[in-house]
Amino acid sequence: MRCLLGRAGPASRAGGGAVTDIAKKRYAQLGQQLQYDQLGTVRRQAEGWRNGLAGLTGLVGVVFVLKGRESVAGMPGGWRWVTALLLVLAFVLLLAGSLGAVRAANGQVGQRVWLTGDRLLSGILDEVERTQDALSTARRLSVAGLCAIVAAIAVSWLVPVETSASPGSSGPYVLVNTTGGVRCGELVLADPEAVTISTAGKKRWVRIPAADVRSVTPAARC
Amino acid sequence: MPDHVATEFREHEAEVRPDEPFTVTRSEDGRWYTVKGYCPTCRVDTVFRVSYGVLGPPKRLWGRGRRAPEPLTGDIPVYCQCGYPHAERPPESPDTGCGAFWDVPVPPPEPGAAP
Repeated sequence: MRCLLGRAGPASRAGGGAVTDIAKKRYAQLGQQLQYDQLGTVRRQAEGWRNGLAGLTGLVGVVFVLKGRESVAGMPGGWRWVTALLLVLAFVLLLAGSLGAVRAANGQVGQRVWLTGDRLLSGILDEVERTQDALSTARRLSVAGLCAIVAAIAVSWLVPVETSASPGSSGPYVLVNTTGGVRCGELVLADPEAVTISTAGKKRWVRIPAADVRSVTPAARC
Repeated sequence: MPDHVATEFREHEAEVRPDEPFTVTRSEDGRWYTVKGYCPTCRVDTVFRVSYGVLGPPKRLWGRGRRAPEPLTGDIPVYCQCGYPHAERPPESPDTGCGAFWDVPVPPPEPGAAP
């Protein structure tokens, strides 16, 4: 049809002298041709969108794998649930979006129509609308799913992690199990001869000989 | 009914005869128009159909259901598709008529009709 459009300029002098707008006819012919091709055009459009959405999803997934945390262990309980929910939500949205994009690009399995001219034309127009609906829905679901993944990445980056070295979980305190009982305090010094802890708000130091110490355990509080 | 006139193929804009107006009817679901009438050049009864096509994803939110398009206004450019052989028609031409084309005005929608 492109060659059809190129066969004549926008206006040509047709025989008798009257100026004829051939472009008008060419576009009318193009419109007639598009009536037959529009389902294929929409399918090709959907294939492009499907590939684009799959590429975007893969890109964000790669960022998540490379730059995100390996697990949610160590995150505070609430944030751990938020991350897990975001990831589950992202999975559901991306799955639905991918299925929608595949449906748009390839059509619904098992759809049938009477193949008379009018019914076929009507069926093609219906399918074009359904395809574009599916494509629009797939696009929105995929974007929402990608946003959920990015949010999960952001949460995993920004939420502080509780480790044994961080003060939130175990703190500077230690539980010293001695032969005479358990003592708790802030660790001041530990050497081969004794363990020194401060108790009562760092006002008093207690020196426990190493011979009496059975174990020393980090603790969040006393 | 006029007989076919074996004119030479020539792409030109023809004048519609006032005594042989074209009928323009819209389908029940509003998604295509059918134009019927006699080709002003080769005098054959022609039928031309224009459907509502889409060139991109719809700009709307989550709405569903079939949308009847807005009524067509202005003219429908129609070209002859008589199917008769016409001398001088180039073999590579996609035309199936005498080459004539013309504008058919679309009647305004009836009040109360579907949009």
